[in-house]
Amino acid sequence: MSPLHFSFYSAFTFSSLGLAFHRTHLISALLCLESMMLSMFIPLSIWPVENQTPSFALVPILMLAFSACETGTGLAMLVASARTHGSDHLHNLNLLQC
Amino acid sequence: MNPHAKLICTVSLIMGTSITISSNHWILAWTGLEINTLAIIPLISKSHHPRAIEATIKYFLTQSTASALILFSSMTNAWSTGQWDITQLNHPTSCLMLTMAIAIKLGLVPFHFWFPEVLQGSSLITALLLSTLMKLPPITLLLLTSQSLNTTLLTLLAIASTLIGGWMGLNQTQTRKILAFSSISHLGWMIMIISYNPQLTILTFILYTIMTSTVFLSLAQIKVLKLSTMLISWTKTPMLNATVMLTLLSLAGLPPLTGFMPKWLIIQELTKQEMTPMATIITMLSLLSLFFYLRLAYHSTITLPPNSSNHMKLWRTNKTLNTPTAILTALSTTLLPLSPLIITML
Repeated sequence: MSPLHFSFYSAFTFSSLGLAFHRTHLISALLCLESMMLSMFIPLSIWPVENQTPSFALVPILMLAFSACETGTGLAMLVASARTHGSDHLHNLNLLQC
Repeated sequence: MNPHAKLICTVSLIMGTSITISSNHWILAWTGLEINTLAIIPLISKSHHPRAIEATIKYFLTQSTASALILFSSMTNAWSTGQWDITQLNHPTSCLMLTMAIAIKLGLVPFHFWFPEVLQGSSLITALLLSTLMKLPPITLLLLTSQSLNTTLLTLLAIASTLIGGWMGLNQTQTRKILAFSSISHLGWMIMIISYNPQLTILTFILYTIMTSTVFLSLAQIKVLKLSTMLISWTKTPMLNATVMLTLLSLAGLPPLTGFMPKWLIIQELTKQEMTPMATIITMLSLLSLFFYLRLAYHSTITLPPNSSNHMKLWRTNKTLNTPTAILTALSTTLLPLSPLIITML
């Protein structure tokens, strides 16, 4: 694997580990999700350049648009959890236990 | 909920599902999955109850992670093979990551923890959408890539799902959680057979959708959210209680009813593929889920609660005619004699 691909791979892996091991706040989970999407944006932007397929040039913009919508939704959920549970602490989300 | 918002959400759900199941390119499949996630979030959180908001947060986090993992696995495959075709997923790391991502999306064990809680926090009709329509795009992706996926891993996920779905459903009293665990164990059956005969997965999914829709629509009509409500629901619509019993037994897989067909065909196919111990294990594990289906059927038809006699008759003011429930009930109990026809149609 080339050093460039390895850097994107490790960026995504570390962001996903940050998402898996977040402990206190919901917003840190949303930040890790956003950084996963960002680490996918750069490889998608490089793909039409290194493979000479200009038809693929729209894809990073599409991906960015959807990830922005998703982040907006996540922030709306953050506000909603602050309204109903009082804060964005994850240990407050315990109303639905088995 | 505002009718315009509900229309936009429902149409977006159908559009997102159609985009994913008709796509050849990974980016389009990912787009459809994202549209589905974004569209169902207002539907889950529409009542603004704390439980609904919590369910929405859990659903959103898991599904977004899984979508990002799907995009990353397709990117890794594109780096090594130079193309984005869904059916040509050949890189082994990509296959592993895709299997894990689809397992998160579907709610297979060991990624099942969000599913009962999300179903419990949403209304019965939203729970129906979450159990049936939202499972269709990930199963389609799995069907398209089933040739290159690791069979041992899929068998392990299937047996673990059937075990956990059966075992954890035994202690539940809320009907939505019971149906969540029933969904997990049915998904286990679907994933078991996907690398040997994908058409049986399609058949199992269609029949599971019909039976689960019947149960959810019937429960929504008599507004049963827990087992104790099930005891007194016979006064509202006596005929519906009888059909709910038959549909639950069909979900359990008892022979003269439709639910027996997928189990029978899957066991037959597994035996043909020299996987007889696996077939035995998965059949024994579905006995666990039989127990909680029988308990639901028992509570709805065979027992009476110790109430006084003036509680036994409720005022029945609006007798609604519910055609979809009737059609789905007929399909989910009587399709077994048509199985030769259905096998040739797949």
